[in-house]
Amino acid sequence: MKLAGNDMLIQSLINEGVEYIFGYPGGAALHIYDSIFKQKEMQHILVRHEQGATHAADGYARATGKPGVVMVTSGPGATNAITGIATAFMDSIPMVVISGQVQSHLIGTDAFQETDMIGISRPIVKHSFTVDHQKNIPQIVKEAFHIATSGRQGPVVIDIPKDITNPDDLFDYEYPAKANIRSYNPPIEPDSSQVKRVVDAIINSKRPVIYAGGGTISSNASDELRELNRYINVPVTNTLMGLGVYPATDERFLGMLGMHGTYQANMAMHNADLILAIGARFDDRITNTPEKFAPKAKIVHFDVDHSSVSKIIEADIAVFGQVKNSLQSINLQVKERLDEIDKDRFDEWHEQIAEWKKLHGLNHHMYKEESDNNPILPQAVVQHIYQASHGKAFVTSDVGQHQMFAAQYYHFDEPRKWINSGGLGTMGFGLPSAMGVKLAYPHEEVVCITGEGSIQMCIQELSTCSQYKLPIKIFNINNLALGMVKQWQDMNYEGRHSSISYEDSLPDFKSLAESYGHVGIKITKNSQLKSGIEKAFAIKDKLVFVDIYVDPNEHVYPMLVAPNGSLKDMWLSKGSKT
Amino acid sequence: MIERQLTLIMENKPGALARVVGLFHQRGYNIDSLHVDPIEDLAPYKFIEDELDIKLASREVSRLIIKTTVGDSLMRQILRQINKLIEVIAVSDDESTYLKGILRDENLL
Repeated sequence: MKLAGNDMLIQSLINEGVEYIFGYPGGAALHIYDSIFKQKEMQHILVRHEQGATHAADGYARATGKPGVVMVTSGPGATNAITGIATAFMDSIPMVVISGQVQSHLIGTDAFQETDMIGISRPIVKHSFTVDHQKNIPQIVKEAFHIATSGRQGPVVIDIPKDITNPDDLFDYEYPAKANIRSYNPPIEPDSSQVKRVVDAIINSKRPVIYAGGGTISSNASDELRELNRYINVPVTNTLMGLGVYPATDERFLGMLGMHGTYQANMAMHNADLILAIGARFDDRITNTPEKFAPKAKIVHFDVDHSSVSKIIEADIAVFGQVKNSLQSINLQVKERLDEIDKDRFDEWHEQIAEWKKLHGLNHHMYKEESDNNPILPQAVVQHIYQASHGKAFVTSDVGQHQMFAAQYYHFDEPRKWINSGGLGTMGFGLPSAMGVKLAYPHEEVVCITGEGSIQMCIQELSTCSQYKLPIKIFNINNLALGMVKQWQDMNYEGRHSSISYEDSLPDFKSLAESYGHVGIKITKNSQLKSGIEKAFAIKDKLVFVDIYVDPNEHVYPMLVAPNGSLKDMWLSKGSKT
Repeated sequence: MIERQLTLIMENKPGALARVVGLFHQRGYNIDSLHVDPIEDLAPYKFIEDELDIKLASREVSRLIIKTTVGDSLMRQILRQINKLIEVIAVSDDESTYLKGILRDENLL
C-alpha cells in the first residue's frame, strides 16, 4: 500500500488501536487534519486550549491504562501543550504527543509559528522523535507507543515537519508488528534471589508496613497487592498517586501518608521495622526530612526504574522489574512459606496501630454540625459527594486544599478511579482530565472536585463539554481565595495574605455554566448542601456545575511539620501539634 | 567532589548528545571536557553485543567521554539517569559500568 505522510501517520495511529485524539489544528498540522477528516475509526476531540488536550489525554490514560494521544500544531500549539506533557511526565503517564512543525527547509529560520519543540520538551519527555522522512513514520509511531507504554511509562513527543505530511508524495506503507529498540529493554521479571530476601525480611519483621504508590497502579498490580496482603496481613498505606490500589475501606488500610497523610499512616511508617515500598519513589512530600525518615526501618524497594531506587532513601533490598511481575513472584514464594509466618507475630503492631487510628487527625463527624449558623466545611462537601456517588465515581481533582480534602475523605476502593496531578501539581488539570475519563467511560459517574482558583485555569473546556455532551459533575469548593497558599501564609508568614484573593471579581459560576448550556447550582448554606449534591447526581444527561461556598478559614490537617521535621511531627488541627 | 571521567556508548543520532548534556546542566554541574566520535573499530566493544544480544555496525554508534566534577551519590544518580536515556547503550565511570538493565562492577569501557 502506498500512502502520503499525513495518511501514514493517521493510519499508524489506527493500527495502534487509538480511539480518541485530543487536539487543536493549525497551519503546520493542516495536512494531518485533512487525513483525520477522511477516516472514521478514531474520533478527534477539539479542545479549547492545547493544555486541555494534554490533560484530557492524560485523564483518559490514567482511567484506562491505555496511552493518551494528543495532536497540536507548531509554535504556540506546541508550547501550550508543555504543561500537560510535564504533568504526565512527573506522574509517569503514557502519552503520545504529535506536534506539527514548519517545513524542513524553514527550520532554524525563525519561520512563522516555529519553535524548537524537541528542545523545549526535552527535560519533560521520556523520549522524542523528529520525523526526517515519510518512510520512517510507521516505525517511529510504533516505537513511540512502545516507549510510552513500557517500563516506567511516560510521554513521548513526535515532531513532524509539514513537508513530511505533504499529501502528494506517496511511499510504501507497512505497519511494523514490533518495535525493536536495541538500547531499550526495561526490566520485567525480578531477580528471584532478591525476591527470596524480601520474603525472609517479611517473615523476620515485627512492624512491617506496605507503602504502595502510583507505580503499582500503572503496572496493574492491584490484585497482586491485595493477594499478598491476604497472606501476610500487614498495615497498608498509599501515596496520593496510589489511592485505590488497596481498598480504602479495608481494616488494614491506614489512609494516605505524607504531608497531609493520616496520623496512623505517618506514625506507622516512622515506627516500622520493615517498609515494603511498592511502585513509590520517596517523594519529598512523603519523607519530610530524609535523614529523619523511618529511622528503624529496613527498606525494600520495588521499582521498574533503576534510577528511582536509593535516590532519596537508601534501599536495603531492591527488586527491579514490573511491579506486577515482582509481586506475582513474591506471592508464589510467600504461599510456599506460609507456615513460617507466625500469625500472632504482628498482634502487638496491629494493637498499636488501632491506638493511633483513634487520633487520625481527620474529622468524620461534621454532619452533626451542619446548621446554617455555621459555614459549610469543605471536608463535609467531599463526604457528601462520597455518599451520594456510593464511593463508585471516578474523581478528578485540581491542586490545592480541595485536592487534599478529596484524597482524605473520598475513600477509593479501586485503582484508576482517583485522577489527580500528584507530581507536578498542575492547577487546571481537573476539568479536562474529567473529559478524557468521561469519553473512556461514558456510562460511569465522573466527578471533578475543584476550587475556584484551579477551575479558572482551564474553564474554557466547559465549551468542549458542551460540544461533545459530556455530563460531568463539577463541584467547585469555593473559599474565595487560593486556599492552600493562604494556609501556608497563615502558618508560616504570620497571616500576611499576599496575592491570594480575587476581591470581588469572581464570576457567578452558576450563570457561567448556564451560558455554556450546562446546569448551574449554587450552594451557600449547610441546609442546601446534601440536597444540592444529590440533585446534581440525579441529573444524568447534562453537565452540572455546583458552586459551593465554604468556610474560607479552614485548613487541611494533618500536616507535617517542616522544615526539619520527621514523619511523626504533625499538626493535627489549628495550634495542635504532636 | 571529585574529578571524574565518564564514558558512554550511544546511538550516533542527532539529539542524543543534547539529552546527555542536559542531565548535567539541569543539576547545575559543569562539564570540564567533552569528546565525541563515531566508533569505527567495534572489537573492544564486543562484550556489549554479547551481553545485550545485539549487532552494532561501524559508525552506527558513538563514544562520548565527559570529564566533570561531581559528588559520589550524585554521580550514581547521573549514571543511572544517563543509562535510562533511550539512545544510550552503555555508560561507565571509574567504578562501574551500566549496560541497559545490567550493572557490571568492573569498568569495561
